[in-house]
Amino acid sequence: MPRRLLLGPQRPVRNLGEAVDAAGFADAPMAVISAGWQEAEGDTNDVHELVRRPLEDLRLYGRAEAVFAADPALHAAYRRRQDRLQELQRLYQLRLKQLMVAARLTLRASGESDLVAAELRHAISQLRALDRHHLNRVQSIHAEFESAYSRHSSELLAGHAAEIERQLAGCRSVLITGGNVVVLLNRLRLFGVHRMLGRHDLVAWSAGAMALSDLIVLFHDRSAQGRRDPEVLAPGCSVLPGYVFLPNAKRRLRTRDEVRVDLFSRRFSPGVCVTLDSGADLLFDDNRLVRAGIARQLQTGGELARLRVA
Amino acid sequence: MNPALRKLVRKAEPTPAEIDAFVAANAFPLVDGRDITFVWRGRADAVYLRCWISGLDTAQPLQSLPGSDLWAATIDLPEGSRIEYKFEVVKNGHSELVLDPFNDVLAHDPFGANSVCQGAGYERPPWTLHDPDARSGSLEIRHLHSKVLKGTREYQVYLPARFRRNRRYPLLIVHDGIDYLRYADLKIVLDNLMQSLEIPEMIVAMTQSPDRLNEYSGDDRHAAFVAEELLPELEAHFPLADDPRSRGLMGASFGGVASLHAAWRYPDSFGCLLLQSGSFAFSDIGRHRRGKVFDPVVRFVNEFREAPGCPAEKIYMSCGIYESLIYENRSMVPRLQQQGIEVRFEEARDAHNWENWRDRLRNGLSWLYPGPVWFVYE
Repeated sequence: MPRRLLLGPQRPVRNLGEAVDAAGFADAPMAVISAGWQEAEGDTNDVHELVRRPLEDLRLYGRAEAVFAADPALHAAYRRRQDRLQELQRLYQLRLKQLMVAARLTLRASGESDLVAAELRHAISQLRALDRHHLNRVQSIHAEFESAYSRHSSELLAGHAAEIERQLAGCRSVLITGGNVVVLLNRLRLFGVHRMLGRHDLVAWSAGAMALSDLIVLFHDRSAQGRRDPEVLAPGCSVLPGYVFLPNAKRRLRTRDEVRVDLFSRRFSPGVCVTLDSGADLLFDDNRLVRAGIARQLQTGGELARLRVA
Repeated sequence: MNPALRKLVRKAEPTPAEIDAFVAANAFPLVDGRDITFVWRGRADAVYLRCWISGLDTAQPLQSLPGSDLWAATIDLPEGSRIEYKFEVVKNGHSELVLDPFNDVLAHDPFGANSVCQGAGYERPPWTLHDPDARSGSLEIRHLHSKVLKGTREYQVYLPARFRRNRRYPLLIVHDGIDYLRYADLKIVLDNLMQSLEIPEMIVAMTQSPDRLNEYSGDDRHAAFVAEELLPELEAHFPLADDPRSRGLMGASFGGVASLHAAWRYPDSFGCLLLQSGSFAFSDIGRHRRGKVFDPVVRFVNEFREAPGCPAEKIYMSCGIYESLIYENRSMVPRLQQQGIEVRFEEARDAHNWENWRDRLRNGLSWLYPGPVWFVYE
């Protein structure tokens, strides 16, 4: 069964090397996806020092830039898709803001408990319905683009996809770095790599880990503009469905704000919201969690709890 | 009076060496919670503290401390305040404005320099200081012949460190942009905020008017220059995002008026405005009392307040509470909000100066142009 090893940010704790060894990854070449680093893609000397295995970068970011340069029509369509996705996200934010305020106030409301509980359930169900709707809309915009521009219709994309498949065939495992999760996801999808990962051992950190779930949730409570409500971005690769991965949660998330944690947990339930702080190592045998380390699960009630392992 | 100073002058006549030691041992002005004591040393007929704070007398006398050549005055300054000042020294019927010789902290502006008093709790934001780890953007000097302004204008363009022609960048046009570079460390701020992902990589065009009091006062020719000449020129030469929401205008004081005026004259051209201490003088009835130079400003602002339309979708405004323009700025906020504009207004314990405007840039820029920090998980 393929193993999936998920880690937190590799600063300050650089546990990549020891976690890979402890998980029993083969001492064999690893394919690397560092597209989240954008222009710095392939700058993997530090990674190599830690994993001490031959690395084969798939260069998804560079390939995409080359494709865009060679096929202006595809590039224009890609930009158009991105504009539409941004506009959609903006409209989603408008609606989300109101529902989050209502849910937060209801969660704090005092009064007869059965009345409050029923209204809270409904408030949460409205949030879930909006998130689900948004996810479907995002998916349909992606599908629209991919039906027009895919490896089956574009020789250029097909050529790159074939090369990537050949590279992957020579590697037992794939390593996915952190970085910009939108860029990473877009590059994975552009070449169909999100469908090629299932049979490989995977090690991923931060944005890379987020992309392996079936639901990518953006969050940051401590930016210059203060807290912002978590937003559904898109479906991920669905290698590890049922989880929402939250890298660097100690820094990005107000984990002591019980209302916020409670609401986060209820909103994405039955999905399991898991923190991935620096030093975390979460190991799955296929989809079965076998090691949780310092990762914690956001719980209804506002607590962070240890994860149950099989 | 400050306790350390009181202790020194309690002696009948402190010796010059004791005063020297006192001066060497303290940072000036003396900050003791809200009590700020300004100290000047020397022979004079009178000494005044000159600071441009609305609500305080422009010139406040320092008292000569008996048995010494020290002069001092204490003012009450709320925590977190930052003010700029000089001393006015009167000798033999002549007065002269001088910097505080005991205070090395200076702020510069087009008129020279002022001493800076950093009240209790004020700290210069770290993102305004040069960070050797931050990638440095580049500045390009360009020229544009303007038909409407009848002459050639020089402007500078900031390009982000990893500028690439195949990307599309948001645009910000900055009035008094060269002054922002010189006095508000705009390039350092842009480098740092891009490095920390709080703003996106963006292109910033910095203009500078040779006649700002006229051109920035609500002049249609200037608005045409910005929207019909400069903007198309930038579009032709740089890869800009074509969504108006990605384009903004910025300015302080009269530059704020120029920004609002240009966006008002050319609706749907600029999605966001960053207006700092805008000189939004107006009169509900009768004549205003701000002097002739404000006549065109008041005409424009009165007209604007009558029919604001929707100059932009998002407007960030800031103003110091120690400047008289705070009232005009406060009153502008609900007028804009009534139009459905998303407005963020920030007040600061500071006055009408470049470092006040510098210190607000992070909040304004990162709100109007949110960076990829939301998307980046390292």
